[in-house]
Amino acid sequence: MSQQAFLYHSKVHDLFNNIQKVMIGKEEVTTLSIVALLAQGHVLLEDVPGVGKTMLVRTLSKSVDCEFTRIQFTPDLLPSDVTGVSIYNPKEMQFEFRPGPILGNIVLADEINRTSPKTQSSLLEGMEEGNVTVDGNTVELKRPFFVMATQNPIEYEGTYPLPEAQLDRFLLKLNMGYPTAQEEMKMLGIVSGEHPIHNVEAVMTQDELIGLQEEVQNVYVDEHIRRYIINLVTETRHHHSVYLGVSPRGSIALMKASKALAFIQGRDYVLPDDVKYLAPFVLSHRLILSSEAKFEGMTTASLIHELLEKVSIPVHREK
Amino acid sequence: MDRMSLDQREWLYRFIVYLAGFFLFWEWLRPLEQITDTQSVTVFIVYAAFCFFLSFLQLPWFLSIPLKTVGLAFILDGLFMPQRFFSKSWFAYFYEHMQYNVQVMLDYQWWEMTPLFRSLLFLLLLWLMSYLLYYWFVVSKRINFFVILTFIYLTILDTFTVYDGKVAIIRAFLISLIVMGLSSFIKELDRESIQLKGNRAYQAWLVPLVVLVFASTVIGYAAPKQTPQWPDPVPFIKSAANNVGGSGDKVQKVGYGTNDSKLGGSFVQDDTPVFQAAAQDKHYWRIETKDTYTGKGWVNSDDPNVKEFSSESNLPVDTFSLENVKTEERTATIALRDNATFSKVVYPYGIQKVTQSDASSFEVNLKTGVIQPFNNGKSIQLGEYKVEYNNPSYSFQQLQEASGEDPQYIEDSYEQLPDSLPERVVNLSEEIVSEEDNRYDKARAIEQYFSNNGFDYDTQDVAVPGEDEDYVAQFLFDTQKGYCDNFSSSMVVMLRAVGIPARWAKGFTGGEQIDSITKDDTSYNVYEVTSGNAHSWVEVYFPNVGWVPFEPTKGFGNHTDFYLEETEEEEDSEVQQNLEDKLNEQQPEKPEVNQEDLNPGGSSSEGKSLFSRVTFWVGIVLLAVLSIVLYIYRYHWLMYFYKRRFQKEPNKENYEAAYHFLLKALDDKGGMTRSSDQTLREFSKEIDRHFQSNEMGILTHHYERLLYRNDTEDQPWDKVTELWENLIKKALS
Repeated sequence: MSQQAFLYHSKVHDLFNNIQKVMIGKEEVTTLSIVALLAQGHVLLEDVPGVGKTMLVRTLSKSVDCEFTRIQFTPDLLPSDVTGVSIYNPKEMQFEFRPGPILGNIVLADEINRTSPKTQSSLLEGMEEGNVTVDGNTVELKRPFFVMATQNPIEYEGTYPLPEAQLDRFLLKLNMGYPTAQEEMKMLGIVSGEHPIHNVEAVMTQDELIGLQEEVQNVYVDEHIRRYIINLVTETRHHHSVYLGVSPRGSIALMKASKALAFIQGRDYVLPDDVKYLAPFVLSHRLILSSEAKFEGMTTASLIHELLEKVSIPVHREK
Repeated sequence: MDRMSLDQREWLYRFIVYLAGFFLFWEWLRPLEQITDTQSVTVFIVYAAFCFFLSFLQLPWFLSIPLKTVGLAFILDGLFMPQRFFSKSWFAYFYEHMQYNVQVMLDYQWWEMTPLFRSLLFLLLLWLMSYLLYYWFVVSKRINFFVILTFIYLTILDTFTVYDGKVAIIRAFLISLIVMGLSSFIKELDRESIQLKGNRAYQAWLVPLVVLVFASTVIGYAAPKQTPQWPDPVPFIKSAANNVGGSGDKVQKVGYGTNDSKLGGSFVQDDTPVFQAAAQDKHYWRIETKDTYTGKGWVNSDDPNVKEFSSESNLPVDTFSLENVKTEERTATIALRDNATFSKVVYPYGIQKVTQSDASSFEVNLKTGVIQPFNNGKSIQLGEYKVEYNNPSYSFQQLQEASGEDPQYIEDSYEQLPDSLPERVVNLSEEIVSEEDNRYDKARAIEQYFSNNGFDYDTQDVAVPGEDEDYVAQFLFDTQKGYCDNFSSSMVVMLRAVGIPARWAKGFTGGEQIDSITKDDTSYNVYEVTSGNAHSWVEVYFPNVGWVPFEPTKGFGNHTDFYLEETEEEEDSEVQQNLEDKLNEQQPEKPEVNQEDLNPGGSSSEGKSLFSRVTFWVGIVLLAVLSIVLYIYRYHWLMYFYKRRFQKEPNKENYEAAYHFLLKALDDKGGMTRSSDQTLREFSKEIDRHFQSNEMGILTHHYERLLYRNDTEDQPWDKVTELWENLIKKALS
């Protein structure tokens, strides 16, 4: 489905167009990133290097007028490099907190799977709790707070795969994919001169973003939709190919994301279509297939498609 | 011809399918001759074929309607019209008939319709059926439903009527298997868009089909068959149908029946007239007596003493001695209605002669008193007949003085009691008669016992004796509630218990006087006797006198004439006073229960009238056709139903119902099915793409708001209705 046509909200539309100045093609990933941003969730982008993961995040952060920080994860990165560190100031004879990159509004966590689990969890815990503790001081994270993490597919060398329990801190897991030949042609044309990212200007203020996030929270989710979500999630827990099913956090995430998708399409109520469309992006990284199923070539995406076909859409009013 | 064009193929296919439809329909007409009194079924079949043929040609209406009408008129002319075809008097005759029948219909006197009119209706039905089957088989290509209906029809007829559907079912199987195989073959070709080249290819498919069907039929026919694995359900269904509404106990319909072996249970009133009788006096109408009490009811001992008598000679049913009993010669005319379920003669006491032109002879069972009319050895049912009889009057003195010497054969047959009879019945009987010294007084004492010892006449809530219970004892000591069978059986048993020969008589009470006529200077009262007048009473044997009827049932007066001999009038005035009191006790009469199905079998000799049966079947078929037409056009009329309902009350419920009706119509008629994992929006896009419009999208949007937004505010329903109607019409077209 082409998401562009559904961007009824003018601010969202502007944001989308702004990003598309740099990102050629990739409408779906762009839209879904905006969904996550508005739903106050975080995104994990997974793909091979060089397909534009970082470029997407940079463009998005430049389009919204707020503080952008970047953490390049390397094997020797320490947790304090993420959260910040207290340094002794000899002039004032006391420790002074130097905030780490996690204290930005939009955080790019680049190649998150290349660092040690210890450092990974310092970021992931912050994402979940909304604050970080450094040397006994609890520091509130900024609002809005939006993490886009990128990772190389785990079968590549020199990576520390994210633990499953931590993966579900991300609202959506997206794949970039290669551009089509046509798109790539266009891309080459655009970047031959000055890179377009330098011309990207902010189209949305921080307050506007917070305002939109609050509006998303007011989107109505009917009982029928909630039941549909629960039916879907429950199916993952009972499927014979599934080792670990989707947690309640997963159903909450699916509902939140659906609200944001409904909102950017100009609706104040969620449709089953929203849930159905988002389910693969929200759920696939939240379940673990049994090893037999993996061996048979099943993927989480194919499983979720199978479940979507199985669970019927609520079309009758319950009395 | 090497190749068959698609058109030819289609034409041939239609022809074969429609022909099969006609053959199946033929199976519907075949049994009519046997199970109804429809004559000349061949003519109707020919007309059906004619209509089917014209329907197949798909002639324009201005050709086909006149053709069919002329065919119809031609048949009516051949069957019923004496006048010249299409002459002036022909039309006059026809008009007269129509006028009469319309009047009859307006008066709801369906049975009065003339055969001409009924045939006309039937021919119109055939006409309609030709259209219907064309639509079914050729247009909508739905064969299975009619095939199934045909099988149901044949099996029901085979099971419940005299029609033997053995060959019919084989024919129906052959036809339907071939046509269903053919149609699925053609459907497969269409679906897969297969182009078969040349006739060979068709033969390669069709020859095996036909061979297979025939082979399986032959094998199925020749193969040994197991006997039914389930018990025959028919008696159960019949008895269940009889017991509907019962509360555990059996409930029957009142009326005359022949099986009295298990008495008891409640019954419902039924005032269906059974016969009319023109007679000078009101008296009981006898049919038969029974001699053996089983503890549960009455049967006849195996001693058929049947004699045949010609219609002219006197019948030897002598229940009393003509020499010793005063009689008056009488005649009566009895007209049995067509719905009477028995073929026996109903007659008064003292019958001498029955005359009726149809009956060449009578078989009389001298023991039970059953008189059965025969015509050339075949049992028949009398319609109207005349009886000559000697109406008896019994003398008190004679009865009281009758000496106790009973002939041996009377003692043998009419003092029987079952071994299981409880002793208390005997004791009670002896106690009642202990003060009386003669047979007449003893009988009277027992007869009177019921009127003042707490017995109640009741037709509801009457007990059925249990396995170890005695019918009479239960009534006498436990329930004391019952109807004529309880009273009369009890009296017979009690009489026998004290050694008085007695028997149980059945028939009808005098009925209700509805008219009086004068014929040959004699005035007759016309009595109407209904099923509700069915009754049972008691006959007591007196030596030298014969059998004298008694009436123990509470609330019934004894119509038997008793008199006092004049010389001793004074002495017995008190007795007479009592007697007259009793005779004047003309309470409403209450009936006897029929112990079996009122319409057993359907055998023609006892069958119902031709009118009611034909009307019944025509009604059934019309009803079936109507339901079928309603079913086929259900989406059309349901559309108006939903539309009206929605316009009247445009609310969420009605919109939802209408929207789902649309989905169903699209599925069923438009062939566009929403799979369960498809969202309404996805489906609506598919529909709109198909119809090149946005109607479904708009309708779905409104429904989504209602369903997923729980919208309470009003929406522009009037616009929606139009879109909805458009879409349904598109789906149906």
